[in-house]
Amino acid sequence: MKSFKYGDEKITDKEILIAVPSMIIGVGVLSLPKQITETTTAADGWISILAAGLFTMVMIWLTGKLAASFPNQPFITYTSTLVSRPVAMFLSFSYGVIGICLAALIMRTLTNIAKQYLFTQTPSEMIALAFLLVVVYAVAGSRAGLFRLNMMFFPIIFFITFMVLLFNMRWADPNNFLPVFQSDIRGYLNAATDSVMAYMGATIFLFYVFLVKQPEKTPKMLALGMGFPIAFYLIVFFLCLTVFGNVATSNMVYPVIELAKRVEITGGILERIESLFFVVWIMAVFNSTALAIDTSLLALQPLFKKVSKEKILFTISPIIFFIGMFPEDFKELQDFQSIFGIIATAYSYIMVIVLFIIMKVRGVGGSG
Amino acid sequence: MPIRAKEGRATKWLIEGDDVLRRSLMKRTEKKKDIQKERVHDQPLKTTIEANISDLKQILGDPDDLVVRYFTVGDKEHAAAIVYINGLIDTALVQNNILENLQTKTLELKEKEAVTLFDQLYREFISVADTEKSSTMEKVLSTLLSGGTVFYLDGISEILVLNTAGGENRSIEEPVSESLIRGPRAGFIEDIGTNAAMIRREIHDPSLRMKTHQIGERSKKTLAVFYIDGVIHPEILAEMNRRLDSINIDSAIDSGYVEEWIEDSFLSPFPQIINTERPDKSAAAILQGKAVILVDGSPFALIAPIALGNVLQSPEDYYERWMIGSFIRLLRYLGAFFSLFLPGLYIALVSYHQDLIPSELAFSIAATREGVPFPVVVEAALMVITMEFLREAGARLPQTIGQTIGIVGGLVIGDAAVQAGIVSPIMVIVIALTAIATFSIPLYSVAIAFRLIRFAIMIGAAIFGLYGIVLVYIMVNIHIVNLKSFGIPYSTPFAPTFKHDWKDLVIRAPLTTLVKRPSFLQTKDQRRGEKA
Repeated sequence: MKSFKYGDEKITDKEILIAVPSMIIGVGVLSLPKQITETTTAADGWISILAAGLFTMVMIWLTGKLAASFPNQPFITYTSTLVSRPVAMFLSFSYGVIGICLAALIMRTLTNIAKQYLFTQTPSEMIALAFLLVVVYAVAGSRAGLFRLNMMFFPIIFFITFMVLLFNMRWADPNNFLPVFQSDIRGYLNAATDSVMAYMGATIFLFYVFLVKQPEKTPKMLALGMGFPIAFYLIVFFLCLTVFGNVATSNMVYPVIELAKRVEITGGILERIESLFFVVWIMAVFNSTALAIDTSLLALQPLFKKVSKEKILFTISPIIFFIGMFPEDFKELQDFQSIFGIIATAYSYIMVIVLFIIMKVRGVGGSG
Repeated sequence: MPIRAKEGRATKWLIEGDDVLRRSLMKRTEKKKDIQKERVHDQPLKTTIEANISDLKQILGDPDDLVVRYFTVGDKEHAAAIVYINGLIDTALVQNNILENLQTKTLELKEKEAVTLFDQLYREFISVADTEKSSTMEKVLSTLLSGGTVFYLDGISEILVLNTAGGENRSIEEPVSESLIRGPRAGFIEDIGTNAAMIRREIHDPSLRMKTHQIGERSKKTLAVFYIDGVIHPEILAEMNRRLDSINIDSAIDSGYVEEWIEDSFLSPFPQIINTERPDKSAAAILQGKAVILVDGSPFALIAPIALGNVLQSPEDYYERWMIGSFIRLLRYLGAFFSLFLPGLYIALVSYHQDLIPSELAFSIAATREGVPFPVVVEAALMVITMEFLREAGARLPQTIGQTIGIVGGLVIGDAAVQAGIVSPIMVIVIALTAIATFSIPLYSVAIAFRLIRFAIMIGAAIFGLYGIVLVYIMVNIHIVNLKSFGIPYSTPFAPTFKHDWKDLVIRAPLTTLVKRPSFLQTKDQRRGEKA
């Protein structure tokens, strides 16, 4: 007899599998084809996207392997075993900051897109605040609830994206693929860097694996879950490219939403579905933001043991709001995005690799 | 006594729902219980009838419907009495099986001692099946007030309490609130004995258990929990019994009182326990591994634990062939979607996103809205509230007048409002469609919840358009994933996912393929049909 345990705060492998695309697919992909086509010719960017994806897949597998070697131990505990407590506390704190900045960044980008596609009159602050309040409501609830939300929104997001892609098929022009392999190495590298940042968020699972009861299969599940964003990014990129062509794509701010704009459902009740697509996309963005904030909660909580989860949450949410509102315009937001992106991704990946090497050298940790 | 203000209470509410509040309430009630204990009439009875009867009359305030019948038993003419409350008992039973036996058949008895005579009467002369000895005033009171008869014999401090409950009952009729085209026609009535028998008639399993609780401090009411031992998960059962024991109220007039006491979160618009008038639905739930609670005096049984999928199911889904059942269920999901989103979507599209509407439709909407003096939000609010009035009025009035209200309200007012140019015809269509869609939801308590959420969505749409709708939708989802019904996540089997349960969720797969009980209930005996 199975005991009545699925109702508690543990998460399952299936939920981990869905959480990976839920975390990674967010606002990044909406502008990814533009960034890629800026530095590569024709469709060559797919190599960068694939390479960056595979790299992230390896990293997420390492993340899972590292965390799963210490089953049911939170981040701070096992890093303390590996690199002493003060260092572990620093690492944890830095992750708290990364989570806050990431959430702020996503929130602000979403606000900008909403302003561009949904309403031009409403002040950004109101749009951002409403979104942030909903996210805070979610994070204040149970942690397992967040993963359940991922599970509930994933099919909806998948469905609407699939529809958008499907309806765009007929405009796809294969000639836009040509010429192949004309980009230079620098272009590939730039595109790959952009792609790595679009896959940002993979290392948050350092903090979540301890919620999995038997994490033997978790690294595999994480890597498998990484397959969704890779496939999704590739398909989106190919479609943008074949529908719009390289030059046009590089001149659009959010080519993916422009894809949705082209959808025409004959006899439909709705004429243009880009607003609808974006509205559903808010769910995906919501998932990423909620997980980012929750990660920083998980990272900060062990440092302030006497403070309750809610108090930390209510302290960091205004900070998130102010950081998010800090960039004055689109240009500053982009600068913030690229600087933060490079620092955060480089920092977290180096940290995972170093921690993993230390674990292997010292031979600590369970059988994994 | 006010609920003790705790630091960070407001935030705690968000998280553990109302468990904190519930706990503080319980603390309050525990104290009350201690005080009440002292008042309870548990003093022993006296040995003479006169003293006992006068005590009893004093406690009850000498009511006029208290019948005390003095007589003598045996050859030695021992004084005896039976006491009951007029109207609550089965008069024929008391006359034929108690009074007649005691008066006529005991004449030969030569017994002198009251104690042995009492024993002999109990063993040989009182022909009431449910009889027991007792010696406390409390038992006397509870027996009398629930329709029993008390037998006193002079010279002894013991009494006999006889279950002679009777009185008039409504006959078994077709359930009003859940009528089906196909399926059993019987519905529960107010009498718990009859209701329990109806469930027993559906399930002949020897493992069917019935556990009774007495609830209510001032008026003890019987409450019965039905489940199948070996199917229901023991932790769910334990939790249910724990919660039932924590109930502390004057009286449970209807099962709704019990529902609100034992549900997980009373801050939620969603019912975490569903109610039904149908014995067949109750029996099906018991067989699935759920528990059914019957409360004396209420024709509504409670079914728990439930999950989100259950609120859109109807027994008829299983009685019709599976394709039709599935189709109707899909239709109901669509109805739920319309009921929740239609007015909100209309507001959002017309006032924020006109560009989304195909141009021809946009023109016709604009044409019909010409001359309407209000913004679309006000127009919609006006119509939705009118609709709620009509619904409420129609439900309260006698059936024949109720129909008139429907015609006058729906047709006349709707038409006049359009003619007067206060609302646009398309708005009337939208609201009417919403109302009809709401009626397709099989459970009234769920339909009410949807009405509340519809208002939230309309407000969201009025402030932020589509963005507002999706934010409210996300909030509702957040609430659902944090909600539990007796420890079972409300969002299951969507998440946590149980693939097998999807066969009986949005569609209803053929019964031959539904070989397992719902996995989300974690039943002990997982397979339907053959016994473990």
